[in-house]
Amino acid sequence: MNHFIEQALLGPLELLGRHLLAILPNVFAMGIILLAGLVIAWGAGSFVERLLRIVGFDHLCDRLEVNAALLRGGIKTDPSRLIGRTLYGTMIVLSSIAALGALNLAPINQFAQSLLAYVPHLITAAIILLAGYFLSNFASQAVLIAAVNAGLPPARLIAACSRWGLQILAGAMALVQLGIAEQIVVVGFGITWGGIVLAGAIAFGLGSADLAKDFLERRLAARSKSNTTDDLHHW
Amino acid sequence: MNNGLTPLTAPTEARIDEIGSTDILVGIPSYNNADTVGHVVRAVSVGLAKHFPGCRAVLVNSDGGSSDGTPAIVARTVVDFQHLFIGDQQSILHRIVTPYHGIPGKGSAFRTIFEIARRLKAKACAVVDADLRSISPEWIELLLRPIMDENYDYVAPYYLRHKYDGTITNSLAYPLTRALYGHRIRQPIGGEFGFSGALASHYLEQHVWESEVARFGIDIWMTTEALVSGARVCQSFLGAKIHNPKDPAADLSDMLMQVVGALFAAMERHEQSWTSLEGSRPVPIFGFPYEVGVEPVHVNLERMVSHYRQGLTDLEPIWRQILAQDTFEQLHRLQEASNSDSLISDELWVRVVYDAAAAYHKRLLPRDHLLKSLTPLYLGRTASFVHATQGLTSREAEVKIEALCGTFERLKPYLIQQWQPATVSPAAPALLQHTTTDAGGDHEPLH
Repeated sequence: MNHFIEQALLGPLELLGRHLLAILPNVFAMGIILLAGLVIAWGAGSFVERLLRIVGFDHLCDRLEVNAALLRGGIKTDPSRLIGRTLYGTMIVLSSIAALGALNLAPINQFAQSLLAYVPHLITAAIILLAGYFLSNFASQAVLIAAVNAGLPPARLIAACSRWGLQILAGAMALVQLGIAEQIVVVGFGITWGGIVLAGAIAFGLGSADLAKDFLERRLAARSKSNTTDDLHHW
Repeated sequence: MNNGLTPLTAPTEARIDEIGSTDILVGIPSYNNADTVGHVVRAVSVGLAKHFPGCRAVLVNSDGGSSDGTPAIVARTVVDFQHLFIGDQQSILHRIVTPYHGIPGKGSAFRTIFEIARRLKAKACAVVDADLRSISPEWIELLLRPIMDENYDYVAPYYLRHKYDGTITNSLAYPLTRALYGHRIRQPIGGEFGFSGALASHYLEQHVWESEVARFGIDIWMTTEALVSGARVCQSFLGAKIHNPKDPAADLSDMLMQVVGALFAAMERHEQSWTSLEGSRPVPIFGFPYEVGVEPVHVNLERMVSHYRQGLTDLEPIWRQILAQDTFEQLHRLQEASNSDSLISDELWVRVVYDAAAAYHKRLLPRDHLLKSLTPLYLGRTASFVHATQGLTSREAEVKIEALCGTFERLKPYLIQQWQPATVSPAAPALLQHTTTDAGGDHEPLH
């Protein structure tokens, strides 16, 4: 009975204890790395933010129109803080990966390595999303102004469609970059986009045939036809 | 300073060498003006023969690649002087018909004309549009005589126009130019100008020929450049201006962007010139003023108001960024008012223009977006003007325009206040202080 207890219960417990004792230094190391990473990330982030403020980075960005671009993109944080927070976040991610590596366990090492290999994709996807966001805001503003100046009643709807269209496109591109459901994204996006274009073409063709005819006539054929509604000379 | 020569074609270079020098040069920029250019060339030829018989003269046609044979018409148009009571002892009028290089647009056409004037050492120059129907030989005298005999550097046209003809000029170009630069030039974007050879050289030396000025906005640029360079400026009464209608497909917002963009860009370049000026003074007018009948203009007031109201609703977030809070709130209050009350008063319009200029300067929005978003506001203001002047004669409407000019001048301190950069934090180093005077720094007074 004693032998059984020693072999079946104490044996594994002893083994577990030995394993724990063996990795305990690594766990401590992980904790230290994580803590140090947090402190360094916070310190570096704050330091860089303050340094950039002191050297007038925000005003330089202002002159280079970066602030205006950020504002147009809906980001109200100033560039110094943005860079400080980005540095903080990046260092936290890196120190977490380094901390996991300190455990020196094969699966975790493998996970850390694949996480590192994934970082470039993450960065690319983030850039695509950011660019898509800025571009969609810029384009929708241009579309809104053009539509209002053309006197189109659904100007805001047209602008919103252009914004969402571009943002969905950017989102799909980012997902492809991340390798998430690549086929579904490509096929789904193709079907959706094709459907929208087809629906728009049918709706315009059936519902606005006269408008289309009038538009094309004015644009292509009848440039000489005078505008009878108004002969105000603005120039 | 740019001392480089503007590229000219080899035949043009050869022609310049052949001619050597000239007293007078008249330029005609053109693009598909076969209908009218013959008349313009005849008027110029007769004007030179009649009023400047002893002077060497050159007519330059700077063409933008017309496909309707405009240059050929310029080259072959002849005038029968016998029937115009002009003696046959005339000096030869040389003609140079040339395409221009560079960005397509009237500005590039003018650049070529200025360059030929410089190479030929012309004393006096004039430019006239190729689409004019009402040009007469007297226009040539009126544009050139002040330069030749009175030592003026720049002659702006003074036309008689219907009260609703040239609404951009009336509500923006004239009042703003007058308030900024202190000279009452009634038609700053007229299209026909006279200028000295020295001023032509000055124009060539400016670094604007690769910018939007080369494409459009050349008229207002020439006027403001003449004013800030210290040139002696006058006006000549030319009577009525009748020209071929603009392309009906031309977009109003594009037209507005051209003029307002050029005005605002000039404000940035010449900040130091206008911020220190107060009030305005009359500019001498040459010629014999007379009354002419002008064609009635039909105005669709309802459509303009509808555009303006749509702008109030749909462009609200954009206007919030451009306009000062108080200005925006005044506009917003109009949204709830009835049709007849939703008019943009003189003072509100001036504040809108000044806020937009400051927003342009501070780059609060992409500049194209900013300029184009002003179209409904301009239409609202034009509707207000039409509403206020419906029963008035053109002369009485002119009094209203003068009152608007007075408001532009009175509120200039508001513009200067809005123009200043936002408060800079104490930690900001010197390099961050906003400077916009570099482009205007290389201007030397002509006198």
